[in-house]
Amino acid sequence: MPHECTNCGRTFPDGSKEMLSGCPDCGGNKFQFTPASPSSGVGSESPSPDRPTAGDDATSTDPSFATDDTAASDRASRSGSPRGRSDAANRLEKSDVSTREWPETARRPEDRSSATDDAESGSPSSSRNAPTSTSSGSRPPASDSSWISGTGNSSSDDDSVDRSTLAETEESAQADARSEMISNDELPPVSGSSSKVDDTPHARSDAESEFDTDSSTDTSSGGESEPTVDTGTDPAPERDDHDPEHGRVVSEPSGEKPSIDELREELNEQFESIKIVSPGQYELNLMELYNREEYIISLQEDGRYVIDVPDSWRDGDG
Amino acid sequence: MGLFTELKDSISRVTDRLFSEQEPKRIGIYGPPNAGKTTLANRIARDWTGDAIGTESHIPHETRRARRKENVEIERNGKTVTIDIVDTPGVTTKVDYEEFTDEMDEDDAIRRSREATEGVAEAMHWLREDVDGVIYVLDSAEDPITQVNTMLIGIIESRDLPVLIFANKIDLDDSSVKRIEDAFPQHKTVPLSAKEGENMDEVYENIAEYFG
Repeated sequence: MPHECTNCGRTFPDGSKEMLSGCPDCGGNKFQFTPASPSSGVGSESPSPDRPTAGDDATSTDPSFATDDTAASDRASRSGSPRGRSDAANRLEKSDVSTREWPETARRPEDRSSATDDAESGSPSSSRNAPTSTSSGSRPPASDSSWISGTGNSSSDDDSVDRSTLAETEESAQADARSEMISNDELPPVSGSSSKVDDTPHARSDAESEFDTDSSTDTSSGGESEPTVDTGTDPAPERDDHDPEHGRVVSEPSGEKPSIDELREELNEQFESIKIVSPGQYELNLMELYNREEYIISLQEDGRYVIDVPDSWRDGDG
Repeated sequence: MGLFTELKDSISRVTDRLFSEQEPKRIGIYGPPNAGKTTLANRIARDWTGDAIGTESHIPHETRRARRKENVEIERNGKTVTIDIVDTPGVTTKVDYEEFTDEMDEDDAIRRSREATEGVAEAMHWLREDVDGVIYVLDSAEDPITQVNTMLIGIIESRDLPVLIFANKIDLDDSSVKRIEDAFPQHKTVPLSAKEGENMDEVYENIAEYFG
């Protein structure tokens, strides 16, 4: 989903010229660029009405979702440094930072696409199910519904875990859980990931039992015995995006979450009229501006850009 | 809105045709930033209509939207030519907000920079579709051989548009009209100071001759 109308949320595939004369649905001329990703097909067919609330909830209140993003985005970088904890911690911090510095509208598709990456590239891998099965296997089958009923209150069904302390450690524990699975996913031959489970058995089982239901809806539905329950009782609308049935992309994420620089670069490769060097500093391709009927001006510094249709100029001069 | 504007335009053009032999030619005033385009446009508009077109400033990129003054009637030697004047934003290949930070705070400078960039795009659009002739304004105290000037004049030539080069700011000590004549010998160069009103007679004669 490289392009999205910021007004009505309609999405356009990479390289589409459809929106060059304004959004066909709402007539808006403000669009947002997100990088071409292997999941572009999935993203574009996601229901856009869900997006505003889903994105807000996910990024502001649902920690597991946020970690999903960062885990997905950093997975490739992890392959260079497969060890777990400091990476995970760094990632959490990075996640916070990036969450803050990206405006809501600019970030949401990012979240979505990387979260989709997570689900897609995670679920086909059988190795990823291994760690999940240890926890969900030991849990009663109703684990999902207990998760639904509330993360804070449902301490009764978990034998050895105090949820209040969990709440304090859930970030790192959760990150560990994620990193472990990611390691398996990304680095099948590495055996160290399983030993890491032994390092922090408490935190890990906590994290998995409580939060991994998020990802285990995907992973377990792919490899374990309760696929229909997972999808059927899925409480959060954005979980639909994780559903592997929406499509799988075999290729792995190309790298870290793309920086604004990369976004700009990619944007300018498509529409070479104006290049943003840095906020307030632009390079203009005069011939491209002259030759093109319409102009894509990416001046919002956050991945959003404006297409100026000649008519809109004439209005101001009439 | 676009439709309405077009309709209005076409009606006004029909009306124009009823009262004059041909519709006014639309003359674009082009050039790099801070060459004196708006000062020239205002000078012409004030001389012949009494109104100004835009705000002049010593800070570059003051004009960030194209502005048009229609039906400017210029009389020369008993002959009247009617033109529409389009004052365009200065064209450049780089816009940097730091150029403005001495004059305004950073936020305003960045905004100005962004608008100036959009202005360049708009100016290029006008050049592509909406002008019948070009007045190319240069600061005669500056080196005229730049990428922007060469490229723009090349585009104008490729479109076979009539073009006059105005060597502005001849009131400055560093001014050199010859440097401009040498740079673009294929075009008529007219020296002037739009700010001081110097040599405006020759300016209007050439406008009447080239665009009449």
